[in-house]
Amino acid sequence: MNFEAVIGLEIHVQLNSPTKMFCDCPNRPADPPNLNTCPTCLWLPGALPVFSRNVLEKAILLCLSLNCEIQATSAFDQKVYYYPDLPKGFQLSQFHKPLSKNGWLDIVTGEAETRRLRIRKIHMEEDVARLVHETEDHKQISLVDFNRAGAPLVEIVTEPDMHSSYNVMEFLKALRRQMRYSGSSECSMEQGTMRVDANISLRPEKSEEFNTKVEVKNMNSIRNVGDAIDYEIARQKDSKEKGGEIVLHTRLWDPDKKITSPMRGKFEGPCIPDPAVSTIVITEGYVNEIKARLPEMPDKKITRFIQQYGLTEQEASLISSELDLSLYFEDTVKKGASPRTVVHWLTSTMTSCIRERGLSWSDLPVSAENFANLLGMLERNEITSKATKKVLSVMFDTDKTPETIVKELDLKQVSDINELEALVEKLLSGNHDAVESLKKGNEKVMDFLVGQAMRESKGRANPRIIAEIIAGKIK
Amino acid sequence: MEKDFVYMNPDIRDGEEDGLFSKPVASLQPNMSVKGWLCDAGSAALENYVALEDATVTERLKEEGFFIKGFTRMSELGFGLRGDTAAGAACGGKAEIAFMTDTLGESRVSASLKGLFGYKPSYGVVSRYGLIGLVPSMECYGMVSSSIENISKAVRTTSGFDSRDPSMPDETPPDFNITMDMRNPTVGFLSQCMALLDEEETEAFTAALDTAREAGIGVVELGFDDFSLMANVHNVIGSVEASSSGGKYDSVRYGHRAKSDNNWNDMYIKSRSESFGSIVKAYMLQGGYFQYKAYSDFESACRIRARIIQKTNRLFEKADIIVMPSRGRNPSIDLQDSISDIYETFTFSLYANLTGGPAVSVPGLAIAEDTDIGFQILGPIREDGRVLSLASVLTATINRKGRR
Repeated sequence: MNFEAVIGLEIHVQLNSPTKMFCDCPNRPADPPNLNTCPTCLWLPGALPVFSRNVLEKAILLCLSLNCEIQATSAFDQKVYYYPDLPKGFQLSQFHKPLSKNGWLDIVTGEAETRRLRIRKIHMEEDVARLVHETEDHKQISLVDFNRAGAPLVEIVTEPDMHSSYNVMEFLKALRRQMRYSGSSECSMEQGTMRVDANISLRPEKSEEFNTKVEVKNMNSIRNVGDAIDYEIARQKDSKEKGGEIVLHTRLWDPDKKITSPMRGKFEGPCIPDPAVSTIVITEGYVNEIKARLPEMPDKKITRFIQQYGLTEQEASLISSELDLSLYFEDTVKKGASPRTVVHWLTSTMTSCIRERGLSWSDLPVSAENFANLLGMLERNEITSKATKKVLSVMFDTDKTPETIVKELDLKQVSDINELEALVEKLLSGNHDAVESLKKGNEKVMDFLVGQAMRESKGRANPRIIAEIIAGKIK
Repeated sequence: MEKDFVYMNPDIRDGEEDGLFSKPVASLQPNMSVKGWLCDAGSAALENYVALEDATVTERLKEEGFFIKGFTRMSELGFGLRGDTAAGAACGGKAEIAFMTDTLGESRVSASLKGLFGYKPSYGVVSRYGLIGLVPSMECYGMVSSSIENISKAVRTTSGFDSRDPSMPDETPPDFNITMDMRNPTVGFLSQCMALLDEEETEAFTAALDTAREAGIGVVELGFDDFSLMANVHNVIGSVEASSSGGKYDSVRYGHRAKSDNNWNDMYIKSRSESFGSIVKAYMLQGGYFQYKAYSDFESACRIRARIIQKTNRLFEKADIIVMPSRGRNPSIDLQDSISDIYETFTFSLYANLTGGPAVSVPGLAIAEDTDIGFQILGPIREDGRVLSLASVLTATINRKGRR
């Protein structure tokens, strides 16, 4: 029998609000242990939670970026469980009345179709403390770091609309892009600011039934999510084919061994409305106020880039994949560089410069103006593309303008015909065999000769003109 | 140490007491945080817990020059009246004002037992920040004193917006001032409530109504069908909140920790089993039952509570004040061995905790044979000045009567 996978996701995203969710402590979980704490987030007796407005704003921004409907009233519940990372015995979460519902995102499937995937709800909840397991005097000890306790999270619950690991990964990429655009989260699976749990079940192809699902956790990259889903689909298929029954449980993904294995069942407590935290009432006016703060979102931007700058759909979508990249692109174009040249350089050399230095588009050390000037020199044939790469690399590490660097490194391209002709004369007289070969029509020799000329001129010669001169002389 | 106190302010040195008491004296309970004091809330679950900071009420009392004499003995986490001594501290001038947790009506019932005034302010007018409690939506700082003026002064001192308590509306605080000129108010009594009184209690309560009439106050009879549901609603919601909110008393950072070599879960279960007294434990278990096995009953209780509040608002369109006894004649104060015993004791007082309205128990007005059952005055939420004023007017009337 052929099976179809049915996949739904539960995604936890850490909001980048300045404060924690129910107190004024800084929301910086990575600081030295227990630095950002107060009676409220230490959950000491007598302390009360006061919901932070700045957290609500970030959460609403995030929901709007995922096309969700903000609910007029939402409220917090106490989700009961006992564990040392949660010393008050309950987590504040929105179980009965979530902040928003009915969102969606479009993805392009593996079959190149656009498909709309639904988001059931997004609710807010507080993070718990972090446990650190160490050894002291040959004894195992567990330490608790409260920096993360009370940090703001949202949980995104999708409908089970996905049927392949490819679509899940595309969905996660789209989700991450939207949320990053909204400015509400860093959304890094690698750094744990986005955590994805996948619920997977199988059903006979073309049926509409929903079968017992298995939850898979502990993936630390989008790639991992895809691998874990593929593994789990294969495992369940195998089990079904052998006549086994799928039981509801949770499995942990092991990224090294690339397998999932069952984890101990977690106690699922009840949820009761919190009597202390007030109901959140959100007016339409307030939602609109926040909506106005969203930047131009990727879909609109891609369309505009195609129309306004003549980019291909692929280029436009690549350049819109990150907000800062798209802004930098437009800034550079406004400073006079031609759009497609900018796209080419941003997506190739610039991207590797950033990666090599562990930077991101938000902390680019090269101003759009300098970058535009550099590309201008290239377009005017004042420097070669090889020289452009070199100058760009220096620009990343110094404050110098491209003009200064070109001058200092003597990289100005030689386009002067007389100078180049002399160079070619010298070259041809020293390479009789090559010249003969070229005359017989061996085109590869042309590349060799141009390369020699470039080496001779230390990369400054204009290769196009060199080739023209050689061709002229050979005739 | 004075017998009503479990902890005395260390500033009091032998023989130096008098000098300190030029200030107004207040007593607190050990669940009302005072920085550096042992705040165990009368429970082994908070053993060794020393408060890191003052509760808002503590802070405001200190700022206004009150002297906090110490902690009185309290029932575990402020639930019920087992061994409470706050009212004792308010007797005979030992403390001008005794603060006591009011979850079911503890302040009003214990005040009536000692012939004192007991007051529960409107929910959300006195900050609960720093109050170590059990039932967040019902409990508040109650106040007991021999004088209604002291109570008015204490609530004026401690009330007012506090950004640290999310249940406080960011509004102008209500008027807590006492006025003797009440402009012909009407009080209403509930027939369903009268039906619960025995002959002596009825007589005593009727006498109190007569005093009100003498003071020029109109008296009307009102009906409230849901009266008999109140205790059950309070019981279900209260126990669910206790079960969930009480989760923070887990013996990890403070409180009694049981010896356990196994694992975390085992440690939690043993510690909590050994820490809590039988009443609180039973209450939490009951709450757990509603959370896990009968959640829809909890939801029904919440709906009925909302309806009770609505109907109460309608009652206040017919009368300015609702009156009833504070307690029955024979409450089993010292024999509170079960949750139903406790709820029976607070039959009349828990109404205000359920609705959040202000209530005062006035002594000397309703005496059943030799027992003062307390004359309870309930007002609409945030109309604290109205109940305090009526208490004052009635007290003046009865005093005049006494002199005649």
